[in-house]
Amino acid sequence: MRFAANIFLVVKKDLLLELRGKEALSIMIFLSLLLLVVFNLAVDINRDNVSELVSGILWVIFAFSGILGMGKTSLSERDDDAYLNVVFSSVSMESFFFAKVLSNLLFLMIMELFTIVFFVVLFDYERLFSALPGLSIPLLLGSFGFSVVGTLFSFLSTGSRFGEIILPLLFLPLVVPVLIGGVSSTDIILNGSAGDTPGKWLKILLVFDMLYLSISLILFRYLVEE
Amino acid sequence: MIRLIDINKTYSLRPVLKDINLDLGVGEIFVLFGHNGAGKTTLLKIVSGIMSPTRGRVEGLEKEPICNRIFYLGHNNGLYSELTVLENVRFFQRLFSGGNGDNTIIKKNLSEFGLWQRRNDRVRSLSQGMKRRLALMKTLICDSGFIVLDEPFTGLDLRWKDTIVEKILSLRQRGTTVLITTHLVEEGLRLADRVGFLEEGKLTLIRKRTEIDELQIREMLKGEVCS
Repeated sequence: MRFAANIFLVVKKDLLLELRGKEALSIMIFLSLLLLVVFNLAVDINRDNVSELVSGILWVIFAFSGILGMGKTSLSERDDDAYLNVVFSSVSMESFFFAKVLSNLLFLMIMELFTIVFFVVLFDYERLFSALPGLSIPLLLGSFGFSVVGTLFSFLSTGSRFGEIILPLLFLPLVVPVLIGGVSSTDIILNGSAGDTPGKWLKILLVFDMLYLSISLILFRYLVEE
Repeated sequence: MIRLIDINKTYSLRPVLKDINLDLGVGEIFVLFGHNGAGKTTLLKIVSGIMSPTRGRVEGLEKEPICNRIFYLGHNNGLYSELTVLENVRFFQRLFSGGNGDNTIIKKNLSEFGLWQRRNDRVRSLSQGMKRRLALMKTLICDSGFIVLDEPFTGLDLRWKDTIVEKILSLRQRGTTVLITTHLVEEGLRLADRVGFLEEGKLTLIRKRTEIDELQIREMLKGEVCS
């Protein structure tokens, strides 16, 4: 019960900080819109090929926009050493880490919804809306994986002089399995594939999520120490 | 009792702390003086458990869990700049006590630290001195048995220095052990039960307050500057 209360306390504080500062979400949403425009200019996306490209484009945007937002939420803790309050309180490092993961997950999901809306508007691809209930599971599992790895490494990188360079270098290679799982399951849900179901990819996403979470919970405690 | 045994710290082969041995009694206020770069902050971080020594150990504070038994206030204030004064205090109280902060106590504490009128202002709009007062307030109201303060008087005017000295002295009555570093000799000596002097990573002097006077400390601080 205390574990849940502590998580709620930190998530509520993160939401309040985001409402006031509007740093993480606004920057993520702006970058996702920018990337969509770049994709539109760089790739000839039309009615014929949009369904083949949509899953890849979306997940690349989720990964890149997500990194920025997660860096910001960790910065609010590192800035002025505010995280030390938690270190010296009765709140466990595990519940603090889990709370930061949930805050990042929430921001990621909001950014993803905006990205999907932008995509539908820009490329006139309404199929995304009708498939949204089915897509919610890979989106949730993939975003959770991003959030776990991103929270861990953003805490590491914000304490470093070259943090903004280190974060994507550490984050992107590690989330490749999540990207592959996310792209494949999204593609199957949107386009269907003979004899193939998203179940296999969702299981892979789930396995990697659990793996990331287990390792991160162990490592996070050591990252907090200078 | 908190016991520092053979604490050594090396940064990139450069020794910062050398064989520090120190016992801190329950309810004792120990004030550490030293030149800039002498290793005071590093020592305080090691004692607090947020930095590991290269060699040696701290006894009396088992690392797991350190929660609610020790509190460290460093050069930074540990505040969320986008939250208001009241929101910061409430968040802090809930972290430490679990329940909702008692409004009467919060009002009393904020008034005592001269921050009640600014309770609804965001922390980023406060002056450096006000931020420090808020940080000290949250440090001094937590029920930790051991409080570590790194330059607590930074940014405070004369009036508030006196108030903070009184507040720290009152911790002695509840048995809280306090370890402080400061460059302010007068305030440091008003607080101290014992005094230490850290010089180039070595604890070169430990004396009871009654065995040393202000002039001696000033002479030591005016002495050879660390390279």
